[in-house]
Amino acid sequence: MRVIIFSWEYPPRVVGQLSEYVKALTTQLAASKVDVDIVTYDDSSTGLTQEPSGVKTMRVSNPVKTHIGVLTWVLTLNQEVERAATNIYYDSGKKIDVIDVYDWHFIPAAITLKNGLDIPFIYSVESLEDHRSPTAQSSYNMSIKSIEWRGFYEATKVNVKSQWMKEEIIRIYNVPPEKIAVAPTNQDTWTSNILKLYNSAGEVAK
Amino acid sequence: MDKLSVLMLSWEYPPRVIGGISPHIYFLSKHLAKQDIKAYVVTCDFPGAPAHEVIDDVEVYRVDSYKNPSPDFATWVYLMNMNMQRETATLIKKIDGKIDVIHAHDWLVANAGIGLKHIFRKPLLVTMHSTEMGRRDGLHTTAERMIHETEAWLTYEAWKVICCSDYMINHVKYVFGLPNDKLVMVPNGVSTHDYGADKDYQTFRSKFALPEEKIVLFVGRLVYEKGIHILINAVPKILSKVNAKFIIVGSGYMQEQLLNIVRSMGLEHKVLFEGFLDNTTLMKLQKCADVSVVPSLFEPFGIVALEAMAAGSPVVASDTGGLTEIVEHDSTGVKVYPNNPDSLAWGITKVLLDKTYAQSLRNNAYRQVQEKYDWEKIAQNTKRIYEEVLGEYSKSFWA
Repeated sequence: MRVIIFSWEYPPRVVGQLSEYVKALTTQLAASKVDVDIVTYDDSSTGLTQEPSGVKTMRVSNPVKTHIGVLTWVLTLNQEVERAATNIYYDSGKKIDVIDVYDWHFIPAAITLKNGLDIPFIYSVESLEDHRSPTAQSSYNMSIKSIEWRGFYEATKVNVKSQWMKEEIIRIYNVPPEKIAVAPTNQDTWTSNILKLYNSAGEVAK
Repeated sequence: MDKLSVLMLSWEYPPRVIGGISPHIYFLSKHLAKQDIKAYVVTCDFPGAPAHEVIDDVEVYRVDSYKNPSPDFATWVYLMNMNMQRETATLIKKIDGKIDVIHAHDWLVANAGIGLKHIFRKPLLVTMHSTEMGRRDGLHTTAERMIHETEAWLTYEAWKVICCSDYMINHVKYVFGLPNDKLVMVPNGVSTHDYGADKDYQTFRSKFALPEEKIVLFVGRLVYEKGIHILINAVPKILSKVNAKFIIVGSGYMQEQLLNIVRSMGLEHKVLFEGFLDNTTLMKLQKCADVSVVPSLFEPFGIVALEAMAAGSPVVASDTGGLTEIVEHDSTGVKVYPNNPDSLAWGITKVLLDKTYAQSLRNNAYRQVQEKYDWEKIAQNTKRIYEEVLGEYSKSFWA
């Protein structure tokens, strides 16, 4: 199995708890003989890091350095994420089973890759804009929500850590319950649950 | 072998008309189709226009242009590109990837063009119709710098960069530090027969001007770079020599300010602000105009001058940018000093007072337009560039 993971934080870049989570997951996946590529943001200020064995990390930088906001920053960075992923795709003989995308940041790239190259993706939800900025209704927040919505719509499967998050996604975005899988991180079955999800997403795509 | 096929990306295509790119894409794609090229145009949606239609053998697709509220124009552009990219990826997959080249127009479709290039590993070309540095006369804000860097990124990713004038070739070379062999000049075109044979325009003309008034026409967005304020400043100087009506076509952020100036000069009855006009009315006006004025301060090409020449209206243009190449002084038009109301008034007065001179400008300009700015020739040149790029591409590891 060959998987690409998109995450905007990955050690040594630590913004929230997502970074360590993704590192733990990729280490486990590599141990389970899964080919894992990480595509993440090259945060040049954080210095060098030790890569876990078996995990290939591609750190991309933003082709446009000056930005007026998070949205423009994210949307141009998406192009480099997309480019990195297409290179992995073509170099692997077009054999990517699934892309696992963490949060909304790189959803646009995943959507284009899905529609253009038939690579299914899983939307793994760490947090939602509705929780990060409750009651905020500015066009900035709405733009992020529209990307989240589109992510749920286009994703083959949705991956969450808790039953509560599953219910929240159903409540806010009306996502069909059967599309959402819960894989709690504190259980022994965590990695095997995620692997099962990757397999099923690949199957659905076929 | 299959026909050569091109995918054009443009944020505007008729009936969505914001600036000069829209007619450019319309004529270029139509004439490429006549050169046996399968042409696809992907553009933003427009109320009432279908999501897919075939116009003059060109496949036109209109995508969801992102209609949720956006924080600002530039952010909207990137959000729109996200949608354009998604829908175009679906389209290319549907036609089994049978696209040979992707041709993007301006930074407004940068992300979509660059993304699709990598997804499908096809060569990307870009036409730079303008630059942020030129539009703003420098880079003053964060947004302007961001747009400038996006333009630089787009030209970096492009196999070839096409510009419409020698002036723009030099400009983008300097602004983005591009190598010579990446740049190609293909002029913009104009379709002379669209202006039709001479008809009686008396009734139409009488809606705008009295019989004894000469018509001075300005067509363009009412923004700083178009120099409309220079013309407004020149109005009293011209009126002291010749009776004329000034017709201003177009809209923009300077409109209110310009109206106030005209009011304060007490010349509201002499200067008409017509706003944005439909193409048919505009073409008729261009035919009626005793002089067409292009007082731009920055002008990558100057299509309005070319349109006036095709319509048989004498042109007075500022000696800058692409206009310098289009207009030959005393032969196909009158060139005046940029940013100089006295010089502009002199040029306009000269054309209005000397009928023989105006007629010779008309004749020479019309001939020049037919010889040099014919869409058929432009499409042939563009096709040659595509073929050249594909020749090089076929030797690359992407092929």
